[in-house]
Amino acid sequence: MPVPSSGLTFSSDDKTATVQVSHAPIIDQPRWPAMDAESTPAFLDFKLVFKATDEPVEYENAVQQYRFEGFKANAQLEATIRVPSIDFTFKTDPLEASKCDFAVMGNEVNGKYYEVAQSTR
Amino acid sequence: MRSDRVLGFEVNRRRWLRLSVSSLLGMKLTGRLLNAQSVAQSCAPSVPQNHEPSNGGACPYPIPWLDKNGNHNQPAMPNVELSSIYHFKGKLARGNGFHGMGTDNKGNRLAWGTPTTDYSYMAGEYWAARRANQAIFAHT
Repeated sequence: MPVPSSGLTFSSDDKTATVQVSHAPIIDQPRWPAMDAESTPAFLDFKLVFKATDEPVEYENAVQQYRFEGFKANAQLEATIRVPSIDFTFKTDPLEASKCDFAVMGNEVNGKYYEVAQSTR
Repeated sequence: MRSDRVLGFEVNRRRWLRLSVSSLLGMKLTGRLLNAQSVAQSCAPSVPQNHEPSNGGACPYPIPWLDKNGNHNQPAMPNVELSSIYHFKGKLARGNGFHGMGTDNKGNRLAWGTPTTDYSYMAGEYWAARRANQAIFAHT
């Protein structure tokens, strides 16, 4: 789905990332996860902000070949959802009013890139 | 496990809006605008002509031990694979358990979010079709 090139921006210190997407196509599927659950088109606008803390994290699994290095983060979201077929709109409170239970931001390597990174470490 | 807070959007307890089912947002770093269908079609493997070799499609490779629809079966938490793409290197952020309050178009105040309301972005390089591809993805 279309996302403008400005859809993901970082602060100058890379500690804050903002994702902003408008009119993203989603579905309204009230009977999910029923196999025959009907769906109707809906649309989502959202602004998502991650702010890194000073607490580093590193998650690595050599068997599954991934390594994530970064920081714990605070994340907030504001969104508007529209379901035209039922004339329904929902708008969240402003970004600052939202909460997130767990968030991290950083850098990841996995798969073939994990192998390469390991060989040069 | 159900917490005290209301889980999900409730509209007179009749509809849930599925936010996390199918919004993988993709954008090429070139800034070229693509719509959802063309993203899927453009990364599908082409049918080789005249016995040419096939290198597969440029669709991102799913995490082998998770379903290809993303990490719906694995909430973000410490010491798990946070990426939705295998053979990836780049920037990644992921959050889980987003929640808050909001208002519908009839003025009803409603709680939103569940323990698995999950948003993320990935920006970098992934390997597919035997070449490196640059992309930005957001997962909702």
